[in-house]
Amino acid sequence: MKVTKYVITSSESDILPSDIAMKIYGSKYDVSVKETCFGVMVNGEEEVVNALVKDIRALDPAGIFIKDRGFPPGDPRRCRGHRGGGARPGFYMIESESKMLPMISRALASSGEVFPIPEKKKKPLLPSRLEEIVKEGLS
Amino acid sequence: MSKVIVYPPTSMILSDLVERMGHKALVVPERVRELVTANDVQSPPLNVTPEEPKKGLRYAAVDVPSGVRGRMALIGPLIEEAEAAIIVEDPGWLTGCAGCSRTNELVRLLIRTKGIPVLDLSYPTDDAQAKLFVHKIKAFLGGLK
Amino acid sequence: MIRIAQLSCGSEYSGIQKEIERAAETVGAKIVYPEVSLEDILDVEKKFGVKVSSGDLNLAMARAVRIVENPDLADAVIVMTCFRCAEAAIIRSEIRKFIHGHSRIPVLSYSFTERTTAETLLTRMEALVTTVKYRGLLARERQKGLTAGIDSGSTTTKSVIMKDNEVIGTGWVPTTEVLKSAEDAFEAAVKMAGIQKEEIQAVGVTGYGRFLVGKHINARLIQEEITVNSKGAVFLSDAQRGPATVIDIGGMDNKAISVQDGIPGGFTMGGICAGASGRFLELTARRLGVDITQLGKLALKGDFRNVAMNSYCIVFGTQSLVNSLSMGCKPEDVAMAACHSVAEQVYEQQLQEVEVKEPVIMVGGTSLIEGLPRAMEELLHVKVLVPKNAQYIGAVGAALLVSGLLEG
Repeated sequence: MKVTKYVITSSESDILPSDIAMKIYGSKYDVSVKETCFGVMVNGEEEVVNALVKDIRALDPAGIFIKDRGFPPGDPRRCRGHRGGGARPGFYMIESESKMLPMISRALASSGEVFPIPEKKKKPLLPSRLEEIVKEGLS
Repeated sequence: MSKVIVYPPTSMILSDLVERMGHKALVVPERVRELVTANDVQSPPLNVTPEEPKKGLRYAAVDVPSGVRGRMALIGPLIEEAEAAIIVEDPGWLTGCAGCSRTNELVRLLIRTKGIPVLDLSYPTDDAQAKLFVHKIKAFLGGLK
Repeated sequence: MIRIAQLSCGSEYSGIQKEIERAAETVGAKIVYPEVSLEDILDVEKKFGVKVSSGDLNLAMARAVRIVENPDLADAVIVMTCFRCAEAAIIRSEIRKFIHGHSRIPVLSYSFTERTTAETLLTRMEALVTTVKYRGLLARERQKGLTAGIDSGSTTTKSVIMKDNEVIGTGWVPTTEVLKSAEDAFEAAVKMAGIQKEEIQAVGVTGYGRFLVGKHINARLIQEEITVNSKGAVFLSDAQRGPATVIDIGGMDNKAISVQDGIPGGFTMGGICAGASGRFLELTARRLGVDITQLGKLALKGDFRNVAMNSYCIVFGTQSLVNSLSMGCKPEDVAMAACHSVAEQVYEQQLQEVEVKEPVIMVGGTSLIEGLPRAMEELLHVKVLVPKNAQYIGAVGAALLVSGLLEG
């Protein structure tokens, strides 16, 4: 079965979408490739695509992310050029998560210890203090 | 290898982390692929037909809006298949397959009441949180068979 | 190509997106989606006034803001959300008001189920496109020359002959065979006008049977009833300038149209339940043993509060009326209860979807059942106008509009 996967690069990665595209063009894999603003879309037989994305991930294990896509690249049913403009609704989710990728990349790359983040709990204001504030405010 | 459903069910970050840890991420695009590559149906864009809201009756009653039932026809089978789940708190920008809040509430409820291991998280907003986010996911996935 | 901006939530997952596009295509329009950024969606509350938990509704609101800021992006707007979603119902209504209040772009609001088809949407889309395409024609305020109008309705067929801005002949017959009924109504109008058919310069046709009748008689204008009835209503009520609200309770469906300068700005069509139709009033009249023309006068003497009616369904509603009669309720109270029930259902289910601005004009055959406009007045707390010849509204609108095609 043919599948499509997004290969998305963190904005801080040294690997550019064009590098990925070039690597695929020069590879043995029989897939089609389309560059997008976030990375590239790869379409081909499932086993081939899975093996390919494994290879691509190795270029920058912490900076490259893979996501499944239902539609083949440029599908007229989804492509905005064919469907009266405007991004498809799911586009905004990729955009939102892409903004987090540098953080996630740094976290993946770090081998250091992880410390739990203490929850900052605010103490409730004492009624006596509230009374003072009200008096100050009204005076 | 475990089958792990992620919420939001279209999350790139979560599905990537699940797969790179050697598990199978259950995500909506796979269901969309089944629909859009079916040759005998022509109901663009998603090839969802009025049959999907009817299939969604398995998860929600007929007085639940058709958009909820149609989405449940896509997501419900993933929940049934799931052996574990990672749920990230609603970040306020979910659209498309996750663009309906009523569906999202039902999805989270059905995952939680299924009795599978669930990891609850929030999207990170700084490096310290991101580190913890990744660490917790790694630990959770590492503990699965 | 007319561009209709789709602001919606749930249509793709209800399996009806294709139906929306098919309806648009049939009327020569294209569905478009205004471009917005992620920031536009996240900040939607600043410009629209609210942000909700469903992202696709926030997206719809962000697109509404974009259209209002750039009215050249679309010629018309459809706002569509799932039936029975409260969150969406609030936002759908607010988007409609927002666009209505900040632009002159016509808006169609509709809540769908998985059973919504292109056919259901067709008349609505046709009206939306007409308001854009024929703005000039719709601005016509006077009828000129000698023209005829035929309204081929589901229950009755009406026809008028108009000459120099006056109605000079009318015809009204029950709809049996569509073509024969149209011919009969037309003949009656011609006879009353005292003219020869050959003298008529142009004929306009509207109503359910418009395509069949229009083709048969080679009509110059074949037009859906939303725009035609709006035009007819404001013409007969002398309310061609400024705002107006037109309510038409028909035999099979009801229309509520908010009009600005004679052009529909927003409208709804409902037709799911016969309990909110003229049919229900016919059944009531029959059960009370009075002629339908007498039902309204009888109702004016009654009080709906004296009759227990707790169903809008035509079957159970009629049952309630029968029960009331057997319990000794007065026929006049039962007649008013039936009128109130129809008016209340239209008020609850349709008038919430349009801007109700005065004058409120009731048209169509049911507007002559005096209890019905009275019940509507009580619900809306405004005076309801029923113009002379209100039952011929579609035919008058068609005769008026077609006269605009005689020039040039």
